[in-house]
This record gives sequence, C-alpha cells and structure tokens, in this order.
Amino acid sequence: MSIKNMTKEKNWSGQKLVSTDYMLFEAPREKHFMTGSEVTKEAIKRCTVDASVSYPITPQSEAAHLIGELWAEGYVGMYFRGENEFGVMSEVAGCAMAGARTVTTTSGPGTLRAMENFPMWSGTRIPVQLILMARGINSPLTIQPDNLEVTFMLETGCMIWYAENVQELFDMTIAGFTVAEMPDVHVPIVTVVDGFFVSHTRESVMLPPDDIALMPYDPYKAPLPPIDSEMPPGRFLRDPFVMKSNYISYATHASWQWEVRSAVDRSIPYARHYLNGLAHVTGDLDAEIVFVACGTASHQAKEANRELTKLGIKSKVVKLRTIRPFPHAELLEATKSAKHIFVPEFNIVGWLEKEVTQSLYGKSEAKIIGRPRVAGGMSMPVEAILHEVLEHVNEEKGA
Amino acid sequence: MAKDTSMAKDSIKVRMPALGGQGAVTAAHIAATAADTEGYYAVSNPFFGAEKRMAPSESYTRLGTVPIYDRGEVIYPDIVMIYHPQVITMGKSYTMPFYAGIKENGLVIINSDIELLTDKDRAFLDSKNVKVLTRDFTKFAIDMAGTELATNMAMLGALFGALGNFGKPAIEEGIKDRFLKKYVASGGTASLDSVIEKKFKKKRDLIEKNLQVASAAFDLTEKWAEEVGLHQMLKTI
Amino acid sequence: MSVDIYKINPEFRDIMPKDILDLEDNATWGAEKRGISDLTDKKELLEEHSLCAGCPEAAALRYILTAIPKPEDTIIVNSTGCTSLMFPHIALHTVHSLFGNQNAVASGIKRALTWRFPDKDKDVVVLAGDGATVDIGLDYTLQSFFRQEKITTICFDNEVYANTGGQESGSTPKGQVFKMAPKGKVFDKVPMWELAVTSGCQYSVKLTASAPKAVARVVREAIFIARELGPTYIHLYTPCILEIGLSASEGLWEMKEQDKDRFVSFKYVSPEAEEFLKQCKKEGRL
Repeated sequence: MSIKNMTKEKNWSGQKLVSTDYMLFEAPREKHFMTGSEVTKEAIKRCTVDASVSYPITPQSEAAHLIGELWAEGYVGMYFRGENEFGVMSEVAGCAMAGARTVTTTSGPGTLRAMENFPMWSGTRIPVQLILMARGINSPLTIQPDNLEVTFMLETGCMIWYAENVQELFDMTIAGFTVAEMPDVHVPIVTVVDGFFVSHTRESVMLPPDDIALMPYDPYKAPLPPIDSEMPPGRFLRDPFVMKSNYISYATHASWQWEVRSAVDRSIPYARHYLNGLAHVTGDLDAEIVFVACGTASHQAKEANRELTKLGIKSKVVKLRTIRPFPHAELLEATKSAKHIFVPEFNIVGWLEKEVTQSLYGKSEAKIIGRPRVAGGMSMPVEAILHEVLEHVNEEKGA
Repeated sequence: MAKDTSMAKDSIKVRMPALGGQGAVTAAHIAATAADTEGYYAVSNPFFGAEKRMAPSESYTRLGTVPIYDRGEVIYPDIVMIYHPQVITMGKSYTMPFYAGIKENGLVIINSDIELLTDKDRAFLDSKNVKVLTRDFTKFAIDMAGTELATNMAMLGALFGALGNFGKPAIEEGIKDRFLKKYVASGGTASLDSVIEKKFKKKRDLIEKNLQVASAAFDLTEKWAEEVGLHQMLKTI
Repeated sequence: MSVDIYKINPEFRDIMPKDILDLEDNATWGAEKRGISDLTDKKELLEEHSLCAGCPEAAALRYILTAIPKPEDTIIVNSTGCTSLMFPHIALHTVHSLFGNQNAVASGIKRALTWRFPDKDKDVVVLAGDGATVDIGLDYTLQSFFRQEKITTICFDNEVYANTGGQESGSTPKGQVFKMAPKGKVFDKVPMWELAVTSGCQYSVKLTASAPKAVARVVREAIFIARELGPTYIHLYTPCILEIGLSASEGLWEMKEQDKDRFVSFKYVSPEAEEFLKQCKKEGRL
C-alpha cells in the first residue's frame, strides 16, 4: 500500500473519491446491524484517512483496534499503538502538523491524561478528529458510561459534537473531517458518544457502499502551513510570544485564542449543512414541557416523550448536535413555547444544564430543571424521567 | 388456541443475567439480529463491565414495533432470563433479587435442573402475574449438541418460542449472521468462538447443531406457553 | 523540497532585514558539503538568539545547524526550556508544542512524512533540554526508541532547569545544591546515553560542545543513521554558566574540564550502524 497509488479518481486503496455531499446525502444506503465500535470502522474506512494512533482504554478499545484493522487492510495509511494517551495525542498532533488526515479515539481517564494536548491542538489549528467514547473518571475506579469528561473539554478550543446513536456517529464522523478541514475553520473536532450506550450497543444503521471514500485532505489549504518542508515555514509555531514579554506578545496571544474560538464559530454554516442543523426537535412543537439533551440522554427523553403522549401530556425533545459551537439561536427558537425545561444528564455536575442556563439567561422565562441526573454509570430508565416530570408538573399545580 | 393479545406492548425489554462464558451477549446479539431481520425494531447491548469467565455477565435485548430509544441496562424488564443457577443461588447478578424491577404480566425463564424459587419469590411473581418456566437447558444443549456451550442457543430458542412473534428462520438468520460474518468480539468471546468452532470442525456443522438446539427449545416453550396460557407479550407488525 | 521555499518574494526584498536577506543569499542551503568551516563566512540557519551572552547552548546550536546534511528537508522538534528561546530563530520548519512531548510529536511527524513522501528523505531532529528529555519527557523519549522511530534526538544537557530559575533535574550530578534540592541532590545523574542504548538506539554518543568539529561529525552521523536504520541519540553537555556561577567567557573552559570527568566520551554504534557508516565514508557522505 502506498499513497503513490492514489489518482484523481481513486484513493490508495482503490475507493472512488466522492464529495462529502454525495457520501452523506446522495449515495444509496443499505441497512446493517452493528455496534458503535463497528460503525466507527465503517466511517473511517470511507474517509481516506492518512494516520491514526491508538491506545487501549475501555470502552473505546474495540473502535481503536478496528481502525488498526483498516490499516492492515490498506485503508488507513499509518497506524500504531502509542505509549499512553498523552503520548498518543502528541503523536497524532505530529501527524496532523505534517499534513496527514488523522483520527484517534479515547475515553474518560485517557481524555484527562491527554488534556494538555487539546488546547495545543486547537492553538496549532490542526483538524484532528478525536472520537470520544465517554466514560466515568476516577476515583474510585469506574469504566461505566458517564460523560463528566466532556465538561473538561468545553474550553479547549476544539469543536465538540455529540452523536446520539450508532447512525449519528457514522454520519458525524464523516462530516467531522469535512467541517474541521474547512480552511476558514481548521480546528480539531471532538466527536462524542456515550461509551457503551453507543460503542457497545448493536442496532440498525444505514450505510453507503464501502467502495467510495472522501476526497483526500489538502494540507496546503490550511491556514497554517503543514510542517513538511514543502512550504515556507509558518511563523506561529516558531514564535512563542511568551519569549518576548511586551504588550504585543500579550495582544498576539489573546487575539490568537480569540481567533481559535472565532474559527469554531465559523463552522456553524458548514455544520448546519452537513448535520442537518445544530439541533433537532421532535415531539409537540407547542409543548410547554421541553427536554434539552444530547447523546443518549436525548434518546431517553424521546422515550419519555412517547410515554407522556400516552398519558396525554405534551412534550418535545430538543437534541443538541453541537456543544461547541453552542447552538444558541436554535435553542432559543426551540424553547419559545417552554415553561419547564428539563435537562436530563449522565454526569454529576450537570454541565449541559449550566450551558443551557447560561445560553437562555435573560431570554427565557422558562424554569430550567437539571433533572433527572444520573452518574457513575447508571442507566436512565424512562420511568425516572416520567417521575421527575410528573412530580414537577403536579407540584406546580399545587397537587 | 389463539393467544390473548390484550396485554401486548409496542416494545419489550429482556434482561439476561448469566455467567461470563455462557454466551448471553451472543444470545442477545442474535435475538436482536433475528428480530431485525423480521422487520421489528431491535437493540442489544452487554452490561458495561469487565467480562470475566464465571463472573456475573449480563446482556440486554429490546424488541419493538416502534423505534427503540431506550439504552443501557434494563432496570424494568418485561422478561428476565436466568442463564445459570448461580445467578440466583450465589447472587451472581447485578440486580438483587434477580427479578427486581420486573413489570406486570412479565415472564421469567430459568435454566436450572432444580426448582430455585422460594415461596416468597413465587408469591411476589404471582402478584405481578409473572409466569415462570424452569428447565435444564444446559442438559438440553449437551444432549443435542454435545456441548454446554450451546446453552445460549437453547435459551434463545426458549425466548422466541415463548414470544411467538419470530419464526425459526429468523433465528437461523441471526445465528448465520453471528457466525459467518467477520465479527468484533472481546478476547474472551473470540477464544470461546474458536473453541466452539473446533468442536464442530466446520462452521456449517456448528450452525446446524446450534439451530437444532434452538429449534427444540423453541418447540418446548411454544408448547409450554400454550399450556400455561401465556399471553402475547409483544405486538406483531 | 528545496531552498526555493525559503526565497523572498522579490517585491518584498527592499523592506527585508539584512538577516533574512542573508538567509537567501549567503546560507548553505542545498550545499553538497556543509560544515563547521561555513561558520566563518556563511550565514548560519539562525537569525539571532536570545540566550545569555556566552551560553554554550547557543554555540552548540550553531554547530548543529551547520552540520545538518539537508536543511531544506529537515524538521526540528523542540520542547520547553532554554531551548525554546532558540527555536523561534531557526530558519527551518520547527515545532514547539508542549513540554516533554517532543519525541511523541517527532514520531508522528516522521511517520506522516514517510507516508506522504515515500520517495523523499525528510529528517526529523529533536532538540530538547535535560528536563524535557530525562524527566518530564523520559517516557516519550524512550518509547520512541523502543518503537525504532527514525528520528535523531539531541539533548542539550545543562544539568539544571535553567529557564525556570535553577532547579535540580534528573541530570544534575549527585550532591549538587540547586533549588528544590536545598540539601543537595540525593541520587545520581541519570545515565541517559546508556538508557538510549538499552532502549534500542542505533547510535548513542555523550560529549561536550567543546570541540565544534566533533559535534558536527556526530550530528551528521546520527542523522544519516536515523534516516536509514532507526533512532539515534546525542547527549551534549552545554553547561548553564549562569547557574554554576561562571562568566560569559568560561563556558568553553568548563566543557573542557568535563571532557575529562562527567562527560568523558561515550560512543555506542550498533553493528548495523557501523557497517552503514563505513559505507557512507566510502561514498564520501561523511
């Protein structure tokens, strides 16, 4: 296998090169039945990926070793197991700096071990894709699904998207490379799913054929030149402003950080297009009871919406597909009818409730209720959501 | 006699407490695949633990005529399937007692050569109108396939026989899908796969024997369901 | 690629500082024979530096840059510390990302370049201090050796965390009083050059920067071997004159002293590398 086998029509593994629009919206799809780990392989297989580095940690290990199989099968250009997540995130940074389309995966403690790398990624403007299969964070030791780690990722300057199920994980992974690599965006993309709930759950999914793949990454369209000695070197990596302590250095650092966040915001039109909107609303559009959720929590809310309908109670679910950029406009529009906004979450701190509260501050009269909230790996049965809603609504009625 | 359909639901949840190595994850997977091939909505997933042989291992299948959004552990099951007596006798279960959370009009299938329910258990399950079937499905597997590793196939057949929504061809599709496709399994499951594959020399034999076990268990519970007047649990599409 | 990528747009020549113009007009890009002798009359690949006056590290960096065989296709990976005061001025593709991750980043760059440019030699050279190499980045350094990454790692050992104000490092000699070791360091200097051998380096050399030509030769050998065979390591003594109380003119004297003591020459060359070096000499590359 060699990159030399790539032509204008086909990539090095012989897959026909197609646009992202064709891959996501036009290519015929067939039904498959698979887990989130397996669908990660299917997505990466169709993305003309140059490089990946992996490290074992539950629950992302299966996805990581399946990417390795893609390398062995000739679909991924370069792959190896790194020494730990800090090393891996630096290794993939090196790959991306050198102009490679790069992907990696991690979970919970691995995310925190690697943390110093993520602001470095966004500051370096590399479009790495991290597929984050969220799990709890020690201590005590846990491997269960809990998405506390996402709160640590929120201010890293990376885009953060949240996939709800196996299907969305597939589609988002493909859209993720495309949006992250837009020259006016060009920041890392963190594609989050809840570990186990998505990674290990087997369900039906519609996939386009596997003999087509995305156009290769063109590093020469990047806002910072790749570190490959084929272009004049970029000044940024060579000029650490801290070494010149004066007002210009402070202003430069601050404006760069501002620019990284602006780049994340510039992804909005692209994300709207490729994700079919930053938020997705289901249920009764004029409902006063509104669930705002992402990932598995939005799935559970949809189940609750169905059960509430059976009880004659109107509700709707606002699923957020992007967390960074945060879909302020979509959220405000979707909660206009709301009197009670429930934010069900799988973590102890309620990071999404904080985001929602901050976003709607001064703009909505609705009461924001950060419940139900489960943590430590607990599932969130629909019964728990119904209990919260009925208790709250009855309380309001003075019953 | 036609089944009572008045209590049939648009989706049901099955909890399968087992011991590591018994193939409950595989059974849940095949059950969901089989239902999927028949046009039902189906989801399967394992419990989120570190699988170790003979330690508790649990998996779940959700089947429905409507899209299934619910994920994770099944806390309120319609059906509980006990793969090993130790789930009850030694408490090798993530939920105690093993029927915790079971819904009204539910079903319990227990793989055991002796009666394991106490009077108290029985009284509780009766109060919920839960039907219980206890059979030695492991003996079933050994007699028919020559290996206890086919216990999960017997349990799978038993589930579908009791439900009545899915025919044997669907089970066959599920089993073929699992054993003929390249499939991602944990290290332990992969090594058991190779043990069972060696046992049968050819994959065709393996599938054939597994199918026979499932089919016989299917017939058994189908008959039992009729005898005890088990109602239809899942709506048909 | 070629020196072309470093050429200045003719429209801008009139506003460019002399240093930058010199890089195009008077540097040794693409020269068949580059070396220490260029230092006298050629422009080194360095614009300026902001280290202490008389710092041996600055001198060592100049020796290294004259010795790099193919600067136009060389990528320098740096770490944090005094070395991070130098890399902004190196006129090559250089990367600084974090403290201690230099060998991990270098591994990624080298592998991606090998994939993207299968027919080209692209040399990746790590330049980092002793804190970055021996302490915070030890894992990543050794792991890159285990994996046989085809990169050259050069450690500027000044035996102290100098940039942060003079704290003990793993490379500090036993007994030395520094900040964070107010009673003196209690364990021995970490023998990184030996760890490099045990960890799979094809070539590991310990020396001081007292003899420019020796430094240049070692750098050239190390880069050639890394290109063909696997990881190479150079442990270079560049004392912190500030922290050990020497004047700007005493660095060379200190290095010469240590040539006979802690930095008495150590050189390991794997049998394959030995063969390869012979071949290079025959071909006139060395």
